[in-house]
Amino acid sequence: MYTCGIDIGSVSTEVVILESSNGNDAAKLFTYIISPTGANSKIAAEKTLEKACLQSGLDRDRIDAIVATGYGRINVPFADKNITEISCHARGAVSSFAGIKTVIDIGGQDSKVIKLEDGNPIDFLMNDKCAAGTGRFLEVMARALEIDLEHFTDIFLNTEEHVDISSTCTVFAESEIVSLIGQGVDKNKIIRGLIYSIVSKITSMVERIGLEEPVCMTGGVAKNLGVVKALEESLNIKINIPEEPQITGALGAAHLALDL
Amino acid sequence: MGVREKVKSNIQRNIDRKYFKRLLGIIAKKPILYAYGSTFSSISSKYLNIYSIKHVRDAYNGEKPVGFGSLFLPFELFHATGISPFLPEIIAGFTAGLGIADKTLKKASSNWYSQDLCTFHRSASGAVEMDLFPEPSFIICTNLACDAAQKSFYHYAHSYGIEKNYCLLDVPYENNPRSVKYLADQLKRLAENITASAGKKIDMKSFADTIKLSNEFREWALKINNIRKKLLDYPPDFSGLDFILPFHGLMGTEGAVELYKNVYQELNALLTKQKENTDTSRRQPKRMLWMHLKPYYKSQIFETINDGNCQIAFEEINNIYWPRLDPERPFESLALKMLSHPLTGKASDRIAALGRMADDYNIDGAILFTHWGCRQSNGSARIIKDYFKKRGIPVLVLDGDCVDKSNSTSGQIKTRLQGYIEILNSI
Repeated sequence: MYTCGIDIGSVSTEVVILESSNGNDAAKLFTYIISPTGANSKIAAEKTLEKACLQSGLDRDRIDAIVATGYGRINVPFADKNITEISCHARGAVSSFAGIKTVIDIGGQDSKVIKLEDGNPIDFLMNDKCAAGTGRFLEVMARALEIDLEHFTDIFLNTEEHVDISSTCTVFAESEIVSLIGQGVDKNKIIRGLIYSIVSKITSMVERIGLEEPVCMTGGVAKNLGVVKALEESLNIKINIPEEPQITGALGAAHLALDL
Repeated sequence: MGVREKVKSNIQRNIDRKYFKRLLGIIAKKPILYAYGSTFSSISSKYLNIYSIKHVRDAYNGEKPVGFGSLFLPFELFHATGISPFLPEIIAGFTAGLGIADKTLKKASSNWYSQDLCTFHRSASGAVEMDLFPEPSFIICTNLACDAAQKSFYHYAHSYGIEKNYCLLDVPYENNPRSVKYLADQLKRLAENITASAGKKIDMKSFADTIKLSNEFREWALKINNIRKKLLDYPPDFSGLDFILPFHGLMGTEGAVELYKNVYQELNALLTKQKENTDTSRRQPKRMLWMHLKPYYKSQIFETINDGNCQIAFEEINNIYWPRLDPERPFESLALKMLSHPLTGKASDRIAALGRMADDYNIDGAILFTHWGCRQSNGSARIIKDYFKKRGIPVLVLDGDCVDKSNSTSGQIKTRLQGYIEILNSI
C-alpha cells in the first residue's frame, strides 16, 4: 500500500509517499519532493503531489491514504485527515531515530520544541508570533548581507569571533545589520552573531519545555550545520539530524496515514 | 441578517452613549426583551442575555446613581446601598463581542494608555475617553488579584472629575480574623459614605435581604456545578465563561437567582435525559478545565475543542469559593468572601483550588488562557503547569487576548489547540 503526507508550510510544501506491505513498521520511503508553496497553498498541495507521482511513476489512485499537515493543512480538500505539525514532526522524527525525546523544529515561519514519551508527543512549545528564531530570520539577514544562505555554515565554522545582534525583531535586526555593515564590521562576524541570536531563542524554548536527550532537529534550518553546531554547544548535547530534515513533517504525516 | 446581527451592526454604526441608552431603553422593554432572548437557542442563553441587558440598561437609564466597580468586588454592597453597578472590565468584553473594541482600543492608544496594559482596562479606558459609559457617581475598586484595576479606575475617576468618590478596598493577603475585621470596616465605611451622599443611613434590612438573595444565588450555582460534574451534553450555545457578568455584578439580586434557577432547570433536564440514555457505545469526551477568561470576540476556540471530542467540563471563574454569608453580619461576611477568593494571596491558594476543581470535575486536561497583560493570572502559568504535570494532567498555556483580536492570530491558536487535543486524545 501507499500512503502520502503533505506538509504545507509558509515557504515550502513537502510531499512524502511511503510504500508498505505489512503496516507501519515495514513502511519505506518511496519518494519525496519539496516545492515552493507560493501564494496558494491549495494549488501548491495539488501540484506537489502531482510532481511526486510523476517523478516516481506512481498512479495517484494507488495512494490509499493522505494526511495533510502544516499551516495550510486545512486547504487540502483531497486529504483524508489533517493532523497538526506537532504530531507529524514527532512521528517523523521517531521514524528517523527511535527513542527520540525532544524534537526541535525550525521551519520557515515558526519554530517549535516537542517533548516525547515512548514516541508520542506529550508537550510542545511554539514560536510563531514573530520571525525571530525562524528560517525567515536567516533569509532576511542573508539578503541584507548579500551573502547566499548556503554559505552561512562555512562562514560560521571558519570564523572565531562574533558581534552581538541586540534586536530580537527581524525588521530591527535587519536595520542593525545594515548599520554594522556601514560601520565596516566584518560580515562573517555578523553572520556568526546572527546564528547565535537564533540559537539563543531556541535554547530558551528548549529549556522552558525541559531538555531530554536524545534530541532530533527537523525543518529546513537543520540543514544549516552552523546553527546545529551552535545549538549543540549552547545546549551541551549531540543533536541527531535526519537525512532530509525538511521532509520530517510530511514523513510523519505519511506514517500517521498508515493508521487511518 | 438576524435581529442580533442587526443590533450589533447598529451599535457599530452609532458608537455613542446617547444611542446606547436609547437602544437599551427599547430592547429592555419586556415584550421586546423576551423576544430578543428567544433568538438564543437555549434557556440558559436566553435568560443570561435578558438579565445582562436589564443590568446594563439600569446603569444607562439614570434612575439610580451609578457606581463603577472592578470585577472582584462584592457587588451585594452596591445593590444594598441602592447604586446601580457598572462593570467597565466586563463591558470591555462586550466591546469585543460587539465589534467596537478596535475603536475603543484606538482611542485609548491615542490617549497615552500603554500597549502593555491589559485590553480589558485599555478598551474600557478608551470607552471612558469616548464618553460611552453612563456617568458614574462612585468609582470603587479593589486590589484583589488585579493590579491594573486600581490604577485604571482612578484614571476613570479623574476623567469624570470625581476623585473624591474613588474608593480602593484594600484586601490583605492573609485570610484571618484580623484581616476580616480590617476589610469589614472598610466595607462598612464605604456603605456609610455611599448612603450619606444620598442623605441616608445604612439600611441594614436592605443589606440582610441582599445577602439572602446572594445566598440563594450561591445555592443554585452549587446545584449547577454539581450537575456539571456529570453532564456530557450542553445546550448548543452554552458557555460557562459567558456567565461572568451575573456571577459578579448581579449577585444579590432577584435577577441572578432567576437566571441561575433557569440554568439549573435546563441542565438538570439534560442530565436526566443523559441518565435515561443507555447507549454505551458513545466515546466519552475528554474533560477540560478552563482557567482564566476567554476571547469575547468571535473565535474558533470552542468549535475546535468540540470538534476534537473534548468539552469544557468546568471553568475556574465559576468556582464557588466562599462560605454561606450571614445576613446579620453583612460586612464581615462580604469581607470573608473577598478574603476566600483563591486569587487573594499566594499562588498556592489558586493551585489548591484548581486541584480541587480537577478532582471534582474529573478533569483530563486543562487550558490556561494567558490574556495579554494579565499578570495576576499569567504569573502563575509555570507552577500551574508543573502542578498538573505531576498529576498527569497535560496543560496548554494558550497565549492570546480576550478583547483585542488583532493581538492573537486564529490560525496559530487553532494549531496549538489541535496539537494539544491530539496529545490529550492519545492518552
